[in-house]
Amino acid sequence: MPLVEVHNVVKEYANGEETIRPLDGVSLTVDQGDYVSLMGASGSGKSTLLNLIAGIDQATSGEIVVADTDITKLSRGKLADWRARHIGYVFQTHNLIPVLTAYENVELPLLLLPMSSAERRKRVGIAMEAVDLTSRASHYPRQMSGGQEQRVGIARAIVANPTVVVADEPTGSLDDETTEQILTLLSRINTELGMTLLMVTHDADAGSRARRKIRLERGRLLENGKPVSLVKGQTAQLHTA
Amino acid sequence: MHKFIPYVFKSLWRHRARTLLTVSGTAVALLVFCFIGGVQQGMLALTAGEDAGRTLIVFQENRFCPQSSRLPQDYESTIAKLPGVQAVAPIKVFTNNCRASLDAVVFQGIEPEKMKAWRDVNLESGNWNSFASQDDAALIGVDLAARRNLSVGDKFTIGDVSVLVQGVFRSTSAAENSLIYTHLDFLQRARGANDVGTVTQLEVHLTDSADPDAIAKQIDQEFRNGPVGTTTRTKGMFQADTLADLAELIGFVHWLGYACVGLVLSLVATTTVMSVQDRIKEHAVLQTLGLRPLLVLGLVLTESLLLSTLGGILGVAGSVLLLSSAGMSIAAEGVTIAFEPSLTLAIQGVLVAVVVGILAGLAPGWHASRTEIVSALRHA
Repeated sequence: MPLVEVHNVVKEYANGEETIRPLDGVSLTVDQGDYVSLMGASGSGKSTLLNLIAGIDQATSGEIVVADTDITKLSRGKLADWRARHIGYVFQTHNLIPVLTAYENVELPLLLLPMSSAERRKRVGIAMEAVDLTSRASHYPRQMSGGQEQRVGIARAIVANPTVVVADEPTGSLDDETTEQILTLLSRINTELGMTLLMVTHDADAGSRARRKIRLERGRLLENGKPVSLVKGQTAQLHTA
Repeated sequence: MHKFIPYVFKSLWRHRARTLLTVSGTAVALLVFCFIGGVQQGMLALTAGEDAGRTLIVFQENRFCPQSSRLPQDYESTIAKLPGVQAVAPIKVFTNNCRASLDAVVFQGIEPEKMKAWRDVNLESGNWNSFASQDDAALIGVDLAARRNLSVGDKFTIGDVSVLVQGVFRSTSAAENSLIYTHLDFLQRARGANDVGTVTQLEVHLTDSADPDAIAKQIDQEFRNGPVGTTTRTKGMFQADTLADLAELIGFVHWLGYACVGLVLSLVATTTVMSVQDRIKEHAVLQTLGLRPLLVLGLVLTESLLLSTLGGILGVAGSVLLLSSAGMSIAAEGVTIAFEPSLTLAIQGVLVAVVVGILAGLAPGWHASRTEIVSALRHA
């Protein structure tokens, strides 16, 4: 049973009088423990697909089932609760809360879960250690480098042990050396912690680190150069605007 | 929600200059609001006090300024005989300024025994016997003593009236704390005055069963054909009539109080809107992490509530301090309105701040909670 099932998803939005349809009947499945990279040209809809799976955007039609929950049918409030339990999001620009320390930033997702403060401390400690930033726990984002900020962002994404970790261009704003560190860290999260990872990137080298490489090309989802085989025998299609 | 309180405080502290300016602006506006409330309360205390409806004041007909009311003192004995009248006190009033003034000094000349029996005052310093036994002795209200820096043993002169301070008293009626009590005959004989046998007003205390309006009519009827006509009203009505112009002004000033509330509303709302606009992306990140829209609304509301309430508490505390320590009052036609602080006023001020804080945060909070996450994340 796949962990993530995307069935015939359409996403439309209006741009003046024109209707843009970045996703038009896309289907995809991701298994537990997969490390999937999603690549494609700018504007191809890869981030839109990622945001739909993360539950921060609403599909115009279609069905997205993550861990047995059809998230397209959830209200805004319930979807927020679902994200707190199931999704860890790594942003391109870190997006740490500037007034909170690294520790407090990592602790944020845990504040939404029923958990004692001792348990929170323990989990934050583990997450900070996983990204090798224990010594920077009391530092504010402005006191850290871009790479360190991104590692804090990754710690924040994994601290609640989410069902899926999604990363939107996680190395997009980093230099080569830091990019290498972050990609290694993401691989470790997948292999050592067994977390399912879905990463959007335009960097072929970054994408090649994933076990499954899916490309958005000529309106189709292609895996290893072939159309993605889908549940119920459907073919994934993606139309660029 | 409570787990996010440290985040709210840190967010407010992030723009500390803006926060402090908003809090201080709110404090000043609430200080003015409560100050105005204090003036209104003082007015209310005069016209709706405990004895305002059960005590009659007999004044010369068609006269307003105490300097111009000259009633024969022997009216006292006539009135005292009327059924329903318990006792009568002739009072001579002298003031340095009949018009509205923030620093008017009002003397009331009254027989010491009646003053002791009828006025609910406690001597904070000085000696009652010294006052009772000495002609030019005076008892001074604490607020006036503080304003004029007077203490026992000081000589105090206004116009042709010169008294020796023999006591400083505190009254349960705040307005009295700005009065000076002297002996009746002393004030009648004061240099420049030739008022022996005449008084400014007669204060009539009634029995419990007496009808004040009926007795007031009876008194005026009694003297209709006498040497001097009278107008008799309850003490509350007398004070309300005397202060009619001032009451109108105070009634108008209360709109300024509402303007202060509006000012706080726009001030806190502006700050909250700015704060939300600064953090469109941050709120989207929080929602991505799993904060419900209602929780985001709650965070914004808490911020505006804290700003407004903190400013409100400071403003209310400032006004209570100012009103209770400065002993301010305004007098007209010999009647004094004391600016009174009270617990009710303080609670009212804080409640106004709380309600305004909630109202100010509603629109920006709603906006923050309804923002589309994806488009907000793209926000610079």
